[in-house]
This record gives sequence, C-alpha cells and structure tokens, in this order.
Amino acid sequence: MSAIKSLPRLRNGALNLADWLVEAQPADAGALAVFAGTVRNEHLGNAVSGMSYHAHRGLAEARLREIEAAAEARFKVHVLVAHAVGVLAIGEISVVVVIRGGHRAEAFEACRWTIDTIKQAVPIWKEEHYVDGAVRFLEGVPIQPVESL
Amino acid sequence: MRVIIECYGASARWCGSDLITLDLSVGATGNDALDALAALYPDFAARRDSVAIATGDAITSPTLPLDDGDVIALIPPVSAG
Repeated sequence: MSAIKSLPRLRNGALNLADWLVEAQPADAGALAVFAGTVRNEHLGNAVSGMSYHAHRGLAEARLREIEAAAEARFKVHVLVAHAVGVLAIGEISVVVVIRGGHRAEAFEACRWTIDTIKQAVPIWKEEHYVDGAVRFLEGVPIQPVESL
Repeated sequence: MRVIIECYGASARWCGSDLITLDLSVGATGNDALDALAALYPDFAARRDSVAIATGDAITSPTLPLDDGDVIALIPPVSAG
C-alpha cells in the first residue's frame, strides 16, 4: 500500500488536489481521471459566501473506504477518494476522486459512479453560508447503502 | 432505560440540540426512539421518515431493540460532495 492510501480520507479543511495525485501511475494504466468538487458562489439564486461541511466521522471514513473498494472491484481500476470537513471558502476543493485505469472508458465510468455514490452514501452535510448572513443545511437525500448503488 | 441521541447535520436544528437524552421503556427499539423524538420536536416529526440511525460506525436497523446506555446517531438526508 502506498503512503497516501494509509491516510484518513476525511480531512480537516480544504483539499489540495496535488496531495492526492502523488501516487505513481501503474505501468498497466493508460488513463488517469480526476474529479474535484469545489464550493460555488451561488445556489438557487442565493449568493453563497462559503460552506461548512459536517460529518459523522467514523461512518463517513468507513463509507469512503467502502466506496473505493467497491469501485475498484466493479470497474477494475485504482481508486482514491478524499472529502473535506470544516469551513471552506468559495473555490476551495471539498472532494477529490482519482481513478487510474487501463482505458478512458472505465476510468470515466468509475469516476462518475464514485462521486455519485459519495453523494448518496456518505454521512456528510453541507451547510451553506449566504452573503446576507443566513446559514442553511442543504436538503440532501436519505442515506443509501453502497451495495445498493 | 436511558439512551443518548447524537443529532448530526440538520437534525440538530430540528431537535434544538446536538445531544439528547431519552428515557424509554425496556425493550424499546430505534423506531421507538424516533417516535419519541417526533413527539417532542415537530420539526423532526416532519422529516422522521427520511432519517436513518447509526450505532458506532454503522447504519443499524431501527427495528432492533436498544439497550440501556446505548448511543445512537441520527443520520438525516446527506449532501456530500
């Protein structure tokens, strides 16, 4: 296991994309697909000034690792994910998905499935901070088991 | 018996606290705990069916019986990403 793989996937504060790209590309991989989610300055017409990410830490960490393993088994690729908790500013990175695989088709497919699954199966909650001073949790979706997705 | 409820995400707003102590009958289940919270907090009652519960680091069935001293977490709809 590489050193990065031993790190907690739930991190305090904004993520640095470069930190999650340090693994060497496997010799049999011809594709590297990366998704990074960032804090946007607008939501449903409301001006957003920042975002707080809250988590059930133990369950979120377990679910992020479960999703990595499920994506690796399903798509036959290498997967690394990380998610931020705490207060992030506009433009900062909240989630990273790194896929290394044989070809672009499975790399893209695995990347899409992984971020979609994180959104439905990991106990993390976004709390938006608005320019007018209001604060509100986003509605979200009822949590799903990874194996159902 | 007495159980501790940890309220995560918006559930802390619905219940007015991130930590609640409930007194329940012996043999009560997770569903009984959710019903008790719904009776106490109208904002939670409106969303009760969207909330899962966890013990330790795993989602657990609300039909399972609780024990005195158990700590259960309310997991409202999630919004990771």
